[in-house]
Amino acid sequence: MRLGRDGIAGLIGLATSLFLLPFSFGLPKLPIVPIGPGFYPALVLVFMAVASALLVVQDMLAQRSSPAPAAEATAGPKRDYGLVAAAFAVSGAYVALLPFLGFRIATVLFVAAFQAVLERPTTWRQWVMLAVVAVGTSAVTYVVFERYLTVLLPRGTWTDW
Amino acid sequence: MLELLADGIVAVLHWKYLLPLFAGTFAGVVGGALPGVTITMTIIVLLPFTYGMEPLAGLAAMTGVYVGGSAGGLITACLIGIPGTPSAIATTFDGFPMARKGEPGRAVWLGVWASFFGGLVGGLFLILVTGPLAQIALAFGPWEYFSLFVLAMAMVAGLAEASLTKSLIATAIGLLITVIGTDPIGNVPRFTFGSEFIGGGFPFLPVLIGIFAFAQIMTDVEKMRQPGAQGEVLAKRPTLSIAHLKVIGEILGRPFLFIWSVLVGIVIGVLPAIGGSAASVLAYDQAKKFSKTPELFGTGHPEGIIASEASNNANVGGSLVTIMAFGIPGDAVTAVMLGAMTIHGIQSGPLFVTQHPALAYGIYAAYILAHPLMVLIIWASTFFVLRLTTVRLAVLAPVVLVLCVIGAYALNNTMQSVYVLLIFGVFGYGLVKMGFPLAPLILGLILGDQIEINLIRAIMTDDNPWLFLTRPISGGLLIASALSVALAIWQHLRHQKRTAGEEDTDF
Repeated sequence: MRLGRDGIAGLIGLATSLFLLPFSFGLPKLPIVPIGPGFYPALVLVFMAVASALLVVQDMLAQRSSPAPAAEATAGPKRDYGLVAAAFAVSGAYVALLPFLGFRIATVLFVAAFQAVLERPTTWRQWVMLAVVAVGTSAVTYVVFERYLTVLLPRGTWTDW
Repeated sequence: MLELLADGIVAVLHWKYLLPLFAGTFAGVVGGALPGVTITMTIIVLLPFTYGMEPLAGLAAMTGVYVGGSAGGLITACLIGIPGTPSAIATTFDGFPMARKGEPGRAVWLGVWASFFGGLVGGLFLILVTGPLAQIALAFGPWEYFSLFVLAMAMVAGLAEASLTKSLIATAIGLLITVIGTDPIGNVPRFTFGSEFIGGGFPFLPVLIGIFAFAQIMTDVEKMRQPGAQGEVLAKRPTLSIAHLKVIGEILGRPFLFIWSVLVGIVIGVLPAIGGSAASVLAYDQAKKFSKTPELFGTGHPEGIIASEASNNANVGGSLVTIMAFGIPGDAVTAVMLGAMTIHGIQSGPLFVTQHPALAYGIYAAYILAHPLMVLIIWASTFFVLRLTTVRLAVLAPVVLVLCVIGAYALNNTMQSVYVLLIFGVFGYGLVKMGFPLAPLILGLILGDQIEINLIRAIMTDDNPWLFLTRPISGGLLIASALSVALAIWQHLRHQKRTAGEEDTDF
């Protein structure tokens, strides 16, 4: 028995809803509300479980009727998932370092790193552009938000900046 | 009413409201024109700027984005054949062929003036209908609200391009996210597993920003090294000079086409959570069916441009009616507007117009004034906007993400919202890769709390569950929900037969 992308997604949905369902039944009842805090989540989870199971069945039927499993994988242009992983890693590092470095420094580093990951500069001119965009983004957003819109941005515990 | 509207217009003409309105309309035109940057993305980027503003200034800026974005998409649609927003897809069908035939000015300005007039008629509808609809909504009890929200979700799930089952699961995921945290009546923690991080639940806006912004940017990132991914650049600068009165005459000389397209746009806008892309495609399709020269559609026919653009801007008026009369977002853009109103402590819904008349009529005024501003901005900056479309994703993406981080952080000045943003960014991208549509998820996320509260209120008032069916409006809405799902199943079965295998992801 083969499972495609939809089947796997359906199984994840089914497993999640079946895992959470007992917790919704175990929630304490409230005297003022006839249906209790677990009723609505249980309703949603049952709906999700049924829809997920249906998706698994639909996928199994589709897989049975399609004899060429590799056709989908070979069709369409190639996508660069390594680049996406790198972009997420840089974003994750930014979010992790933000409370320590503060908005201004972390943003310069993030914008520079993100640009370098997506399009590595090869000439000194491109490096200068990268630096200008990084410093400019940090400076302009800081001035606009902190000075003019009175929106406080994160301060760094390491840098106090 | 006219007096309140005149007061609203006078108020919005003050620089402290006019400036945000102008900035928002400009941002909307630019964001709408940039392929890959949707109106939702633009409004998300603009959101943190509104935190420090007065409510009317912030909402004026957002209204400007909505109006400007709905028209901005036509610039790239007509001149380089790439629709800046999904709502300009149908404009490309005739706008680009007309531009290639040597009439780029006519193509762009037919679209701009159709957007202008379509939007203004939509505005008239907004002003005239919101009050009476809100009066009807006041008669709604929790049963009717519950059923109305169910109808909204059934419609959006049924209209998504992906499979109906996946749309329903996406809706359930959205609803599930809203039950995490404490319950709305007794503050009982649900699915928190003792974690303080999720103890208070997930704040709506960081979740929405994370899911939309990351999913869209990362989907663009994965394709950026493909040949031609950065889009087409104009070989030479075309002239857009045109006799404007003649173009306006071309639009108003087709009254049936214009009015019908506007009506399609308004009706689709009023229906919860459908959006401008459906409106423009439907209006285009209708225009072709009613046309005396249907064979000319797709070859640079003015009727195609007029239908698409008049309907997608009228759609904005319709969407604003839904949010102002019922408190239900017509699409993701109005969902962000609803979030912004909540941040400023304003409750949208049937009492909004009567409780906040200055704000409501200020929004009407901003909506009306955004149209001449939109025309002015496009007239003055078409080529500047076109140059902006050549900005590389490597530069644009980190700047957008920084603004998203500010938007999340500034909500309550804690890093928790930023962590939520990142978590749901990864989650949203994963869902897109699994082929789940995001629109039903977002709607589930927006309406989840309200559905639960109205369900509990209904049962606390009378524990007879049959009232949901036996109360006429509630029953009617639930029957409409069932019909909507049934229609969607029929359409999906028909669609599957036609195009087996190919599947698009929509935002």
